[in-house]
Amino acid sequence: MDLFLQTLVNGILIGGILICLTIGFQLTFGVLHVIDFAVGGWAMLGGYTAYWLVTLVGIDPFISIFLVFALFLLIGRGMGPLIYRVRTSRYARPDLMALAFTFGIFLFMQGGALWLWSYNSRSVESVLSGQFLSLGPVTIPLMRLSAFLMAMLFSLGLFILLYRSRFGMAVRALAQDRDHAGLMGVDVKRVSAWVYGIYTGLTAAAGVLIATIYSVNPSVGVRYTLFAFFVAVLAGLGSVGGVLVAGLALGLLEAYVATYIGARYSLLIVFGTLYLALLVAPKGVLGRGI
Amino acid sequence: MASKPVQTPKFIVRALLIGAIAIALAVLPAFIDPYTLRIATGALMWAGLACAWNIVGGYAGYISFGHSAFFGIGAYTTAILMQSDIGASFFATLIPAIILSMAVAVVIGGPTMRLRGAYFAIATWAFAEMLLQLTTVLDFTGGTAGLSLPAYLNEFFFYYTMLIAAVVSFAGVWLLIERSRFGFRIKALRDDEPAAQSLGIRTNLVKVQSFALSAAITALFGSIYAYWTTYIDPHSVMGPDITDQMVVMVLLGGLGTVWGPALGAVLLWITNRYIWSTFGDTVIYLPILGIIIALVVLFLPNGLISLIVGPQRGKELMSSILRKF
Repeated sequence: MDLFLQTLVNGILIGGILICLTIGFQLTFGVLHVIDFAVGGWAMLGGYTAYWLVTLVGIDPFISIFLVFALFLLIGRGMGPLIYRVRTSRYARPDLMALAFTFGIFLFMQGGALWLWSYNSRSVESVLSGQFLSLGPVTIPLMRLSAFLMAMLFSLGLFILLYRSRFGMAVRALAQDRDHAGLMGVDVKRVSAWVYGIYTGLTAAAGVLIATIYSVNPSVGVRYTLFAFFVAVLAGLGSVGGVLVAGLALGLLEAYVATYIGARYSLLIVFGTLYLALLVAPKGVLGRGI
Repeated sequence: MASKPVQTPKFIVRALLIGAIAIALAVLPAFIDPYTLRIATGALMWAGLACAWNIVGGYAGYISFGHSAFFGIGAYTTAILMQSDIGASFFATLIPAIILSMAVAVVIGGPTMRLRGAYFAIATWAFAEMLLQLTTVLDFTGGTAGLSLPAYLNEFFFYYTMLIAAVVSFAGVWLLIERSRFGFRIKALRDDEPAAQSLGIRTNLVKVQSFALSAAITALFGSIYAYWTTYIDPHSVMGPDITDQMVVMVLLGGLGTVWGPALGAVLLWITNRYIWSTFGDTVIYLPILGIIIALVVLFLPNGLISLIVGPQRGKELMSSILRKF
């Protein structure tokens, strides 16, 4: 029973970070209708930036996460118009072209990371590393708890932005109907670019949190792209709210498989479930819409 | 009244051109050193793989990120059957490799190809990743340690095997897709599925047929590759890099053309080998691939072919010029 509870807590804590990883991705799909293959790449780069900030400058990852967020917000804002251009181009299949474009960016990130940092894993240390909180039978590493809270903070920030600001109203209008939003005076191109920026910032922040708990190496990009897809498919592509449930579900699935079946089977079962989920409910299990 | 253009001389020129390329490829090994021969063998393999991916990605319009699965199925079938305790001969393993990959393609193709666009891409990727994870945990695939095959170190044999496989693949794709009703069905499916369906085309059947054909060619090259390198492990034959390169080569050369994929494959493979011989490894190759793919999407959406014939005619040519070829 203790093991069961411990696994439950582990799953929830990881699930929270997966929520942060996927929530921006969903926003991008909802507004731009782009499936960004580079999602894991942004997370990986966020992790590496935090690694640099802590080893070269000495800024704790739980502080530098805000710097990483701001930095990637600007990078994404800069790239936004390109994504928008491809997605709204007059190619025969702009959706597939946008997919191919982000896939190219992803290869660039992954290869660039290999070139810069080699295959070795880098761990991101924090002052909280190695401290634990004991709650009855359950032991919680303070790192994981703070990462979870940080992920919730960022996700909550996105919800406030979406539902309590003029900008959020414009974003939701865009997600509903791009043409009409444009007619109503929303600067479609600019808002889309900012949405892409917010997405990259959130994903890089999630990458920092992942790097503090595990470690970061160039191959985590593929893994977290697939994890983000998993959560997004389960939630229904474009559904920001569904991510809350789907992220927790994936965190729990991975934790329980790792504890009771074996860690080396966890990816196999995760990807198998993703494949089946797509076949059974391609439009998502939990509804859609922003 | 414009007179009807004379067709025959053009046809003869093209036939002569293809004949000249064929003879050049056939006698090439006599003139080059073993190292260059290996590069040429690799170029033939990638051209064949790009051609295979193009059937689903270019003609049917389903961007697959899971073709490494079929390459791996071919490689593993050959490796397992050729191990000392079974001891099958190389050519005998090709048939089961092709049959197995086609069977897998039919079983997963049916349900997966109900998904469209990006959903299909995600599903195929998840499937390939699942098979990759499976090969790392199973016993008969050797787990992460991989499998060794009996070594047969005859570069000429592999060059000609790859050449024959590539020629068969290209001729098959040309005949089936540019010269038969099957090809029109595939293209109708890509351009407008509901319309194709309303004309009585059984689109589900066509999708699965094209997926199986593509899988069979991919597995064939996987088998030859396994015998050629004599050692395989999950990441070398099932890893995402295989699919990545297939996708990029086709995008670079020109989606949905017969010769575009070959052009893209040869160019990228030579770039890969050049980088390898200059820098000692190919790590920098990945970011270059990524940049190329992003630039191609932004500026050359119809591939290198459109660079040769001009951007405006690129798209029409993509489908028409090569159909006449």
